[in-house]
Amino acid sequence: MKIGYKWIREFVDLDAGALEAAKALTMSGTEVEGAVRQGVPGQVVCARILEAHRHPNADKLFVCTVDAGSGPLQVVCGAPNTREGMTSAFAPIGTDLGGGFVVKKAKIRGVESFGVLLSEREIGLTDDHTGIMEIEAVCEPGAPLGEALDLEDWVLDISVTPNRGDCLSVIGIARELSVLFGCPLKTPEFSIQEADIDVGSALSVEIVDTRGCPRYAARFIDGIVIAKSPFTMRRRLFQSGVRAINNVVDITNYVMLEYGQPLHAFDSTLLAGPAIVVRRAREGERFVTLDSVERVLRDTDLLICDREKPVALAGVMGGENSEVLPGTTSVVLESAYFDPDGIRRTSKSLGLTTEASYRFERGVDPGIQVEAANRAAYLMERHARGRVYRGVIDVNHLQDTRAAITLSAGTLERVLGVQPPAEGEVERIFTALGCEVRRIEGGWSVSAPPFRPDVEREIDLVEEFVRIHGMDKVTPELPAFRPTPGGVSRPSLRDLRRSLAAMGFNEVITYSFISPRWKDFFPGDSLRLVNPISDEMSLMRTSLVPGLLGALERNRRLQTRDVCIFEIGRTFHPVEGAGLPREEERLGVLMSGMRFDQHWSDQPRQVDFYDLKGLAELLIPGVTVRPSDLPHLESGRQGDLVLDGEVIGCLGAVHPSIRTIIDASEDVFVLETVLGPVIERRWKGLAEIPRFPFTWRDLSLVVDEKIPYADIVREVESLGIGEIRKVAALDVYSGEKLPRGKRGVTIRITYQSLERTLEDAEISAWQERVISRLGESLGITLRG
Amino acid sequence: MEKQLEELQRTFLEDLESIRDPEQVEQARIAYLGRKGRLTTILRQMGSLSPEERPRIGALANSIKAKMEQALAEVSARIASRQSVQGIDVTLPGRVLRRGSVHVINQVMAEIEDIFRDLGFQVASGPEVEDDYHNFEALNIPENHPARDMQDTFYFGPGVLLRTHTSPVQIRVMESQGLPVRIIAPGKVYRCDFDITHSPMFHQVEGLWVEEGITFAHLKGVLYEFAHRCFGPEVPLRFRSSFFPFTEPSAEVDMGCIICRGAGCRVCGNTGWLEILGGGMVDPEVYRFVGIDPHVVTGFAFGMGVERIAMIKYGIDDIRLFYDGDLRFLLQFA
Repeated sequence: MKIGYKWIREFVDLDAGALEAAKALTMSGTEVEGAVRQGVPGQVVCARILEAHRHPNADKLFVCTVDAGSGPLQVVCGAPNTREGMTSAFAPIGTDLGGGFVVKKAKIRGVESFGVLLSEREIGLTDDHTGIMEIEAVCEPGAPLGEALDLEDWVLDISVTPNRGDCLSVIGIARELSVLFGCPLKTPEFSIQEADIDVGSALSVEIVDTRGCPRYAARFIDGIVIAKSPFTMRRRLFQSGVRAINNVVDITNYVMLEYGQPLHAFDSTLLAGPAIVVRRAREGERFVTLDSVERVLRDTDLLICDREKPVALAGVMGGENSEVLPGTTSVVLESAYFDPDGIRRTSKSLGLTTEASYRFERGVDPGIQVEAANRAAYLMERHARGRVYRGVIDVNHLQDTRAAITLSAGTLERVLGVQPPAEGEVERIFTALGCEVRRIEGGWSVSAPPFRPDVEREIDLVEEFVRIHGMDKVTPELPAFRPTPGGVSRPSLRDLRRSLAAMGFNEVITYSFISPRWKDFFPGDSLRLVNPISDEMSLMRTSLVPGLLGALERNRRLQTRDVCIFEIGRTFHPVEGAGLPREEERLGVLMSGMRFDQHWSDQPRQVDFYDLKGLAELLIPGVTVRPSDLPHLESGRQGDLVLDGEVIGCLGAVHPSIRTIIDASEDVFVLETVLGPVIERRWKGLAEIPRFPFTWRDLSLVVDEKIPYADIVREVESLGIGEIRKVAALDVYSGEKLPRGKRGVTIRITYQSLERTLEDAEISAWQERVISRLGESLGITLRG
Repeated sequence: MEKQLEELQRTFLEDLESIRDPEQVEQARIAYLGRKGRLTTILRQMGSLSPEERPRIGALANSIKAKMEQALAEVSARIASRQSVQGIDVTLPGRVLRRGSVHVINQVMAEIEDIFRDLGFQVASGPEVEDDYHNFEALNIPENHPARDMQDTFYFGPGVLLRTHTSPVQIRVMESQGLPVRIIAPGKVYRCDFDITHSPMFHQVEGLWVEEGITFAHLKGVLYEFAHRCFGPEVPLRFRSSFFPFTEPSAEVDMGCIICRGAGCRVCGNTGWLEILGGGMVDPEVYRFVGIDPHVVTGFAFGMGVERIAMIKYGIDDIRLFYDGDLRFLLQFA
């Protein structure tokens, strides 16, 4: 909400400057997000148009003689309202109007012009550019305009928290300042010259839904002449970002900004009756609002109707059918209190938020309807020549049932940790806030004013107290603590990150929502957002791989081809019948490009499957890999990660069609595993450290191509020779020297005993057993 | 004469030290062992010795000569070997292992965790896909409350959503754990908002301390401690009154701008202050949802955006850099 500071000052006797006031508001919970100074360039002056003649060479231009304080000047002006005798704003030659616009002597259609007459928009006062500014006040030609009209001001941009509907008004902000600076609040004084016709004779009001509309006040005004609003009013509306329309509509907006009470004016000749009936809409009822949009309503929406038809969507927007227009002469002025929840529901379901709905949702002052109506009626009398009918119709079902709240001194201390405040401080604060305060045994009894529906509990009073007293006055204190039991502490996760970083991997964080384009490659149910940022970010990931591929894609586009990255994060898996999905913490790793940076001494090498498998073996002791058939990986170059007989993840080369999608010409390898086994360290007890030397024997085997290496190891291990420490693959080769369908595998078997030094003879005997087992079970022969 | 021989050996060994090239070796050989060399000169005096002495001195002279010859041979071999073996070019680049990095967000998160661990907090976590009850209702944000506008929520369907803050972890911990509760809950949160300062996914760290005797002064104490450990002991804080549905009183906490030291700059929008976190005393209404008696127990809660802190700490001005995976960005935090 933006408000001009001068306007605020009309409501509070305050010496503080705008910035000082802004700071005090910010510290007490009403944040001023910006304070912008508004002035008029010093050279702009008041000027009287002494003469105005048609331009000899242009129909729409005038040649004026202008008195700007220093003798008559010839000025050419194109504004339609240019006329003799008027006072306007004038910029002499050399005036810098900002935005690079400096006034120069000009020749316009052959006539010289020694300056410019200005519209309000050109000076930044309002957005009115229909003609040059008309100054009604009496002022000396040549007087600086800013001073003559007292135009120097600040505009405060105030962010009001949702609990403080009372601050959505000039009077609300003025009240805060009066409390903060300890100076009196001033309410406008005015009196209406009421006509001798009773409002009841011209209008009836009936509330059918008293829950949705507990209070409806109305006044009736006729004799209205629609015109432009006075300058000050238009300027203030402009400062607040409200477009000026005409005097009647502007007055309703002006009073809304002043009092926080939204008002609506109906052209009474367009109301059947004229009568007002407040009722719920029928489900599916249609209604065209002021913005010419046809709305389909629900039976929870509230309508303002006349005898026959709806004329306004209560608390949100008026109807096109009863709008105040230039020809309007009489109006019904509405000042109502609507149920905040109801207005919010309507505003939400229609996706329509207005200045009015915004205030009703947050709760307007339930005691101010009549006063606001009076204020608007007074202004219409004054600025629209209105004749105000006698009296106000006020159908009021509101009851203030709120009891006084007890604030105990102990609570202040217990919650805030402060010493008891000085005598009288609590009373001073709450009285200034508009509460009734009574000292009672051990504390205070406080009744909150009707405009503060948010103050209903003791804790609310504690907050009000510290907010005004000043949070700065609470001395920071570090509490002592006892250790708490339990809790999840996972430093090992941090170790994992550091280890991977030390091995050359970069951690990425990618969005938890992914594009549906991955659906084919990652089958299975996934959660879909109802309101995603875009379709590309609409599905919750069931795998970390798409995010890693996205990161690779971006890096490749940025000319980084050697990419080793990982992500630790959650995947989301819908669970049949359960409310919330299962969230699984996983580790994903991607490798692509060259394994090592190019070095002058080595042959460069592309990353391959076994680089990633090696990482898996390092990270997850005991893991094995068996062939798999997953759609996102390339057939024949992929496998499941198996630990203790359970599949915990997978790894392999990314499927060629995915590589096409992400435009990766080279192989891409990915690994994904549940996180648990990676960070859990299972201590199996200290192993004995051998004291006797080990010996090894190499065997060059000729093996059928179809036999996986793991089978060879398994056969060797199945012999149960305890002295076999390790079986390692030294070399794997194929070629012309071997029979078709065979490959050569050289293995190294390491023997060691914990009890003694092994002898050649026994090792040879074991070797024989190995050779014959491999031969019998797998048809393996020794290479000759 | 014996003394002369010993003196000869001593000076020879001294001279040997300074020999650097084959030429010097030859010069030394001529000077000591040549026909007109110093040894020959000494041996010429043999005639003046008594016959009994001659064999002894002769043997000594021979052994010294042999030693000198051997020493010269060794030196010349050493020089030769030094010249024949080509040295390596130590200026060629070494085989550097490729550098990796932990994501800066996780680095900052770890730092925050460490600070609060030192202050006795434990780390808790909760689901990222939440229900309406834990994300809103139990935090005193009923349906149709304007406070829901403060957060743009991603929905999966009625009542199921992506958590908009880490605050639901407060509820889950208080539901499941006895008092006292002293936790931080780091994690991902989600809001429908996307520009250079807003990401639809970002990270928060929530803090909660519920125990008899905990006050607003304690909240201030803990947050001062945090700010001083994270940003330096000089940094000022300012507590501004604010509104959150689940705390009362509530405060926004600003830190003196670490770029301009309060003078006003682009980063702090010329205010001299940077908003870094929000917090307050747990609203009694929240205790009602988890069955804690607010007349006995008090507590505070706070929450901070990790990206915000990382951006301030490292001068990052576009939040999207965190999620692009661009190695040129990530490696700067290696």
